[in-house]
Amino acid sequence: MPMNPLPVVNTRLPELRVVVTTKAIIMGAIASRDWQPLHHDYPWSTSTGGLPNIVMNYYTQAGWISRYLTDWSGPQGRIARLKLSMRSSICPGDELVISGVIDSLEQESAERCWVKVSIEMAVGERIATTSQVRMALPATDSAPSPWSITAADWRP
Amino acid sequence: MSDLPDLVKNWIGKTVVKVDHTVTVERGLWLTFCAAVQDGNPLYWEDAIAQEHTGRVIAPPALLAGWGSELDWYPGKQGHGVRPLELHFMLKEALGLPNGITIGVELEFHEPVHAGDKVQVEQMLRAVGDEKPTRLGIGRKWTIDVVYRRQDQVLLGLQTLEMLAYRTP
Repeated sequence: MPMNPLPVVNTRLPELRVVVTTKAIIMGAIASRDWQPLHHDYPWSTSTGGLPNIVMNYYTQAGWISRYLTDWSGPQGRIARLKLSMRSSICPGDELVISGVIDSLEQESAERCWVKVSIEMAVGERIATTSQVRMALPATDSAPSPWSITAADWRP
Repeated sequence: MSDLPDLVKNWIGKTVVKVDHTVTVERGLWLTFCAAVQDGNPLYWEDAIAQEHTGRVIAPPALLAGWGSELDWYPGKQGHGVRPLELHFMLKEALGLPNGITIGVELEFHEPVHAGDKVQVEQMLRAVGDEKPTRLGIGRKWTIDVVYRRQDQVLLGLQTLEMLAYRTP
């Protein structure tokens, strides 16, 4: 998305709705080499694990949040920090609603700004996961991509 | 924390697990993850667009921790090998808590990960809570800090995990 004008604090990002499937949970777990049975084995999860079903692992939740934000920012958005607090499980059949709001905007220079975004992953009235993300963005359409920031200057 | 076994007390504040290399980062491996979350960010898929931002395609940052986990099988593998977040499993075994879930994660991303990288991992135990009833059974929480570096020691990321381990009633 064009960053001129800059994002505005309290702007709500467009919602993303996803119907969670067994396949998607298992695909995310296997792609992250997370072999724990609670992410693919229904009998184990519901008996030994004491869980309602297989559950989405945190890598996959982080992946959905990252996708949600960069769908909005475009590829120039560079996530610096991502915090997740898991309150309840995300399971097959859940309709996941991902929403976000811009909490703050910090213009570091004429070329670069930082946004903090609060994100919720909800299933109906139930909040499954909350997240806070800090992301670098170019301050203008012609500013260099934040991906060009060197390791010495990168302060996540 | 006075009820902790000495083995676990001795781990607190220290790097307990070091993993030199599990899988070499490959584009095909990360694209499966992108497919799982339907992430079409061209930095992960398209060389021409990635070139202007990251030089070449990169792995999704959200997958950073996955590069410290082994394939489930490979020739010559003995036993369970290095499990994802091995220190968490060592704690579960030492404390008799067979089940575990992640309740909180904080990731700080540094240099992006590219195909061919070999990711080294250090896992440190920060703290272990008291055993008490939870909604899943008797359990404990603990906090693990993880550092991810490339094979040339360039910092890729830092991670803090809050885990809950429990035994079902």
